[in-house]
Amino acid sequence: MDVLSDLKVVELSRTAAAAFAGRLCADAGAEVVLLEPPGGHPLRHEGPFRDDLPDPETSAAHLHANAGKRSVTIDLETQAAAAVRLVAGADILLTDVPRDVLDPVGLSWADLSARAPTLLMTRITPFGDTGPYARYAGSNLVCLALGGQLKITGDPGRPPLTNFGSQAEYQAGLSAFAGTVANVLLRDASGEGEYLELSVQDVVATNLEQRGTSFNLGLVANRAGLTVSATYGVYPCRDGWVYLTAFAPALWDRLKSVVKLEVLDDERFSSQASRLENNDELQAILTEWTLSKSSEELREFARQGYPLTVAEDEESLLACEQWERRGYVRNVDHPAAGNVSVLGSPWLAGEATDIKPAPMLGDSNDLLEGLG
Amino acid sequence: MDWKSGRLPLAGLRVVDWSLYWAGPYLGMMLHDLGAEVIKVEAPAHCDPMRTVIDVNRYSGDTGKPLTAEQRANISQHFNEWNRGKLGIGVELADPRGRQIFLDLVTQSHIVIENHRPGAKDKLGIAYSDVVETKPDIIYASLSGFGQTLPERDAMALGSPVELPSGLFLRNGYLDDDTPAKTGFSYGDPVGALAALSAVLLAVRQWRKSGEGRYLDIAMRDALSFGIGTAFTDWSMNGAARSRTGNRHPVYAPQGVYRAKGDDQWVAISVRDDRDWQALVGVVGAHDWQNADIESRRDNHDEIDAAIEAWTSEREARDIEGELQAVGVPAGAVLDFAQLKVDPQMTARGAFAEIEHPVFGVELRATSQWARGDRPQPLERPAPCFGQHNREILTGLLGMDAWVVDDLEREGVIADRIKVSGD
Repeated sequence: MDVLSDLKVVELSRTAAAAFAGRLCADAGAEVVLLEPPGGHPLRHEGPFRDDLPDPETSAAHLHANAGKRSVTIDLETQAAAAVRLVAGADILLTDVPRDVLDPVGLSWADLSARAPTLLMTRITPFGDTGPYARYAGSNLVCLALGGQLKITGDPGRPPLTNFGSQAEYQAGLSAFAGTVANVLLRDASGEGEYLELSVQDVVATNLEQRGTSFNLGLVANRAGLTVSATYGVYPCRDGWVYLTAFAPALWDRLKSVVKLEVLDDERFSSQASRLENNDELQAILTEWTLSKSSEELREFARQGYPLTVAEDEESLLACEQWERRGYVRNVDHPAAGNVSVLGSPWLAGEATDIKPAPMLGDSNDLLEGLG
Repeated sequence: MDWKSGRLPLAGLRVVDWSLYWAGPYLGMMLHDLGAEVIKVEAPAHCDPMRTVIDVNRYSGDTGKPLTAEQRANISQHFNEWNRGKLGIGVELADPRGRQIFLDLVTQSHIVIENHRPGAKDKLGIAYSDVVETKPDIIYASLSGFGQTLPERDAMALGSPVELPSGLFLRNGYLDDDTPAKTGFSYGDPVGALAALSAVLLAVRQWRKSGEGRYLDIAMRDALSFGIGTAFTDWSMNGAARSRTGNRHPVYAPQGVYRAKGDDQWVAISVRDDRDWQALVGVVGAHDWQNADIESRRDNHDEIDAAIEAWTSEREARDIEGELQAVGVPAGAVLDFAQLKVDPQMTARGAFAEIEHPVFGVELRATSQWARGDRPQPLERPAPCFGQHNREILTGLLGMDAWVVDDLEREGVIADRIKVSGD
């Protein structure tokens, strides 16, 4: 879906948030120029690397999030004028750089919009431009904490636990991309520029599931570990993990039809209320059943539509038939990392869209020529 | 975007929203937030389960006299949270006349979204291939667990269970723990909804340029896996199993979630570089490690954590946050929902607003994540009660005569109450 192929994007980013948004722009056909500090984008310095040898060209985080972009190295302290010209000639500026850095060098929205009235600018920061935390320092973990997602993940009695990766920044990247495309639609009609400021904390808090029940009914959810209840939770199987999903009557009947144990027809388990009352007994019975099954057996049940899912790892997913059918795994040749797999964007299933590898540092520095 | 003046990208577009649970409803709500008129379609015998599966009494603590499903249907705070701003119609899609109403609604619309199990739309005759005959330029987005392709098309997946087959689950977990961990809520739903929203917005741009609609096949699993794409690229390069990293960061050190004063109170702290570290030592002490460089801080992470926690556990999480932020170190109290509700930043930015629901009363709802600062979003319409706008939609938008609507209602083709079966 090369819907943005008429657009030029300048990405001035330091975190995964704007990097994800820029990656999605590139997947949608836009030309994305990543402005990196002379030492390279921070994602280039995040492990793991090819063969576990630190190399700013072969960081997996960089290869994934920066795929399809061009790279320009620029020192904002000495080359700000060139950066401003580059941005003024683009359609979209994506950034997650603090105002303290942007404003003094002419990259504030006020300065840029005066110079380039049709520019779209999307700025993602930990806490936004306004409010008492506007000047707070942030990180992925701190935004998960203040956005409410951290407290509810992990085991009761142990500390709250972040999920793997930069999930707060990923959510913000998705949200920033959607918001940016929304502004593209507005500009298509009006010809005018737009500014979008987005806070990672806001996005995290907006994406919280039980907010309504908490705010309006007084429930305060907490960490529940692997199992919410016997009919909704993760169980160990013979060689892995399986999630049983039978919290509604029809789902329970489906689960019974695959577990095939007469004991499940007992009065004790005959209604949702009684299943909750006899939760521990039910969980023990179901655990015995899951432990008797292999991932492969359970995977077959899942494909037939029984209410369960099976844990998969990178190896099994990269080789899975579903992704092959969907064309989701793209193999790209990278000058330093060699042939590597990169996942396509979630909406690229079945699309012929080409994904290019992440850029070598400064591979497009010629774009600065003549910009001062 | 500006909510007060109505300068919104999807103004003038209409969405048929045949969605259930969380991902689809959230997608529909975001399309509303961006200016579209969204009509939520539900069948009386198959309403959005979010109306009824969660027993409100479990939260109110009044388990003595549980509410019936019918009593729960219009006050569910799950349903009402993710369907704010929509119109609602209750129509029996399995009836040919009900199906025709669906097709007529599509003809008057620009976008269809649905997140039923693949196959459901074909069974009812409301799939893309069915509606495209009468509405050739429709944008039709299906959001499912695994996508519309075999072999995993028919596998069932909700936003939390889908975390297992995404790869995320096996990566989650406490530091070096053998047991993985699941995200504490249905994380596949919001991520899938945002991915689907992006796809729909791109399709709208294509439609405005070319006049062509299209079918979109979005999988929640794919959206979750994309968020840990690093792990897949790593595997393809190295083929090495990685141990779980808990709350630690690949570069920052120390980083952790530390016990604060009080029951189950915690503070998250990230030290990004040497400057942060010197600033933290200036506040916390931990002088044994004052001169530790990044390598040394990583090598001695456990001991440093212990030194930091000795300090944090004597202090309130919010005070720690304030002291560390004052010297520029990323730190934040680990908020629960009650604290989030009154968080000064959320409040100052207008993240939450009150709205009056006709049955529940005053509800506090999140506003659009794009409406912040000087662009607030006034909330105008709560989530629809079941079938609340039947008459308005059928006589207005579809131009039916009132007596026809009366007949449809009498014959159970449309209804403004759910039909209950089982517990």
